[in-house]
Amino acid sequence: MTGLVMTSRPVVSHETPEIGHQKPVSDGFSHTTRCTEAKASELSNLQPSLAALCNEEKTYQSAVVVYAKENIFVQPGIKCKRISGRLSLLKKAVDDVMFLAWLPYALNNTSDSATDDNKFVVISDGGPALSEASSTAESEKRDRTLYAVHPVPISDMRAVRRHTPTIGWHHIIIVLHTGLSLPPLYFTNGGVKDFLTVLKQHTCLVRSPDDPNLYLVNDIADPLQRSMTALDLLEVQNRAGWSESAGGSASLFVRGGKDDLDTPSPRDYSLGVLEHFSRVTKLARDTTAHIFGKDQGLDASTWPCEGEETLIKLNYPPQGMLAVNCADGEDEAPVLRVVQSDDDEAAPCDSDSQSRCDDGESASTSVGSFELLESERIVSSSKRIPSRAQRPFPLSVEEWCAFFEPDGRLADERGFRERAFYGGIDQNVRKEAWKYLLGYMPFNSTVAEREQIREAKKTEYDALKAQWQSISASQEKRFTKFRERRMRIDKDVVRTDRLLPFYAEEDNSNVELLRSILMTYTFYNFDLGYCQGMSDLLSPILYVMEDEVDAFWCFVGLMDVMESNFHRDQNGMHSQLQSLKKLVQLLDPQLHCYLEKMDCLNYFFCYRWVLITFKREFEYSLVLRLWEALWSKHLCEHFHLFVCAAVLQKHRRAIIHGEMEFDTLLRFINDLSGKIDLEVALYDAEMLFQYAGEAGQEVLPTSGP
Amino acid sequence: MAGNPSAPMQAKLVLLGDMGTGKSSLVLRFVKGQFFEYQESTIGAAFLTQTVSVNDTTVKFEIWDTAGQERYHSLAPMYYRGAAAAIVVYDITSTDSFNRAKSWVRELQRQGNPALVMALAGNKSDKSDERKIPAEEASAYADENGLFFMETSAKTAANVNELFYEIARKLPKAAPTPAPAGGIVLNNQQNAQKKKSTCC
Repeated sequence: MTGLVMTSRPVVSHETPEIGHQKPVSDGFSHTTRCTEAKASELSNLQPSLAALCNEEKTYQSAVVVYAKENIFVQPGIKCKRISGRLSLLKKAVDDVMFLAWLPYALNNTSDSATDDNKFVVISDGGPALSEASSTAESEKRDRTLYAVHPVPISDMRAVRRHTPTIGWHHIIIVLHTGLSLPPLYFTNGGVKDFLTVLKQHTCLVRSPDDPNLYLVNDIADPLQRSMTALDLLEVQNRAGWSESAGGSASLFVRGGKDDLDTPSPRDYSLGVLEHFSRVTKLARDTTAHIFGKDQGLDASTWPCEGEETLIKLNYPPQGMLAVNCADGEDEAPVLRVVQSDDDEAAPCDSDSQSRCDDGESASTSVGSFELLESERIVSSSKRIPSRAQRPFPLSVEEWCAFFEPDGRLADERGFRERAFYGGIDQNVRKEAWKYLLGYMPFNSTVAEREQIREAKKTEYDALKAQWQSISASQEKRFTKFRERRMRIDKDVVRTDRLLPFYAEEDNSNVELLRSILMTYTFYNFDLGYCQGMSDLLSPILYVMEDEVDAFWCFVGLMDVMESNFHRDQNGMHSQLQSLKKLVQLLDPQLHCYLEKMDCLNYFFCYRWVLITFKREFEYSLVLRLWEALWSKHLCEHFHLFVCAAVLQKHRRAIIHGEMEFDTLLRFINDLSGKIDLEVALYDAEMLFQYAGEAGQEVLPTSGP
Repeated sequence: MAGNPSAPMQAKLVLLGDMGTGKSSLVLRFVKGQFFEYQESTIGAAFLTQTVSVNDTTVKFEIWDTAGQERYHSLAPMYYRGAAAAIVVYDITSTDSFNRAKSWVRELQRQGNPALVMALAGNKSDKSDERKIPAEEASAYADENGLFFMETSAKTAANVNELFYEIARKLPKAAPTPAPAGGIVLNNQQNAQKKKSTCC
């Protein structure tokens, strides 16, 4: 295809029939023309396709802000006033299509300051936004409109050029496949590298071999990237969708993909990109002016599907609340209308795992296999996943209190579990909340019932404790099993979390409590006894409970679930590691093939992760956060295995490229301790969970942790 | 080849012994020169490497540090399989740990590589006032079973490097090409290229 010239993809509804700059064609592929070349007859075809799209569009739930940076400015000219705005990366929750946007503050829905994260920019509805900004001077307003970067799909991006002058602002220039460059975006307080890092997490970003400041996006001329891009669901979907039936509805899309395949080499590409830089300012100005210049005349009534479009909020965490139910348009929530749909019904996807195994680099972004997601499955999950930035604050004391009925029953168990999963629990709430999560206190218990339970449990604990405490020294001499157990517990409690102030210093009474609780547990569950790892599981519980009896019974609740991990025959560990193997096989066949080749399918390199649920992998406070998320069982009982899979996928590249064998892999995994981003891992794990769907559930262990 | 310092001989070494005898501490002292009073227990296993030069030979130890509790015994064969050397560790203040060491020795003799270089390490020699196992007893046991014996202290570093150096010296200088099931893994070109020299 030639003559692909467009400004920004009409993902978002700035396009109206009047100013549409693409013509739909019926051959299954989208052609575009420049705005000026658009014919009225062609434009008239746009209407039905938009309508069709809007219908499909109902499948969307939301878009997610995965990155936002404030005070990024554009300098229209040397003497012009700089225009500040917010640079963001958005991800549609339904199909993970990523967009980049830079919107000047004055274009925000209201006059809110940009720092107010609870407000959202209007990305679509140019009319109202502009009218509200009417107090601004006309020329300035025009500039703002002119330079706004309305959401551009990242797949349309060709390259990012980084400018880091020693004097002056660091800035980036983004070049689209079409050759168009977006206006230079100046970073007032640094952050170019961070931006690139985030971008890299969501797309294939490689540094040009010819220019260290040039980053090629989805450079499929590179053989490694080509194979990856070949697996890009979006590409596959769109191509297939168009070539089949999509016709009108797909015609709004422009894919550079076909052209890209003809591209001879990365070098040519980067040279081409550099040439295009000369066109930056003028072309950017011309084209954006043409598109958006008429915005003032844009009337909501010209929107073909007014009233039908799904409202999409860009959710920032609304102060401590779950940002989950977001489909309905509250008045104060500005909306993003998305007219693009990448969800063709066919949703073709490369499901041939063997081919993934063969081409070395399939899903090699750092977010693992999200390119491999089959939209079908994602769509079927009705709920969006709150991004990291959107994770709510930990469950606060006030919120916690609001969960209870007047008689002290916890009213909304599911709500509580969900809340614990996404936001975690405030340290001041943990002591009570964990008792529910660990099954010590029933959810439907009243205050009076809980007091009774506590009394009974205290009596029972004291009795158990008295059993081992009453064993005399002479008795102990003839009681090898007891002696051994006591010795093991003694050896481990003195080296459990001793760097934590709670357990630090000699003669720490909390270490004594660890000892007492573990000794009592071996009498509570004599058959199991004490096993290394138990002190790791107990430590955070005692830390939170600050009470021997409560900690013991919470520990009992945890061990009820974890017990099989410690069986002598290793059956619990074995079944979990086997499930993990199957999960990875399902979610990342290439990694699975690699591990198979290296004879690592016993997954013993993940032994520590699973045995003590990542206790050694995160700093203490994060362990608490992770555990309560897992204990919430909000998604499933075995969510930790998805976390394992997510972390493995995150490092798939290092594993495969590093040609790690069992020994080096085990060392690598052990060395990840302290280096795993928990929120990323939880987010990725949830993505994998949604992706795996029922197929994932089928490979999970039937019981146990 | 063996004398070429740029091409170290790789030797898989496994540490076995009861929990809390100081296996991880010995490795940490040897590899990183560190010691933690409250070295946390080993869950699963740990893998570290350290390279030493002995005379004209460079040996790269690939060290497997295992969990000590008997409960996890079933995992051990995975780690000692193919090992060129093993250090069986006990705590000189614990009779139980010495008995456990003996059972490890028996198991290695029964199932391990016949060419295995085996060392018996009586650790925590700094706690001699709590000693339960006389050095003579352990030394005699070692002689009977063809092991070499040293008392060590990861805490004070006494004899730690010596222990590993002695193993390096005892490794067959020009070991034959390893059988598939293990023995000493001689460095070859492929390995040299593939495995970058890493040192924790």
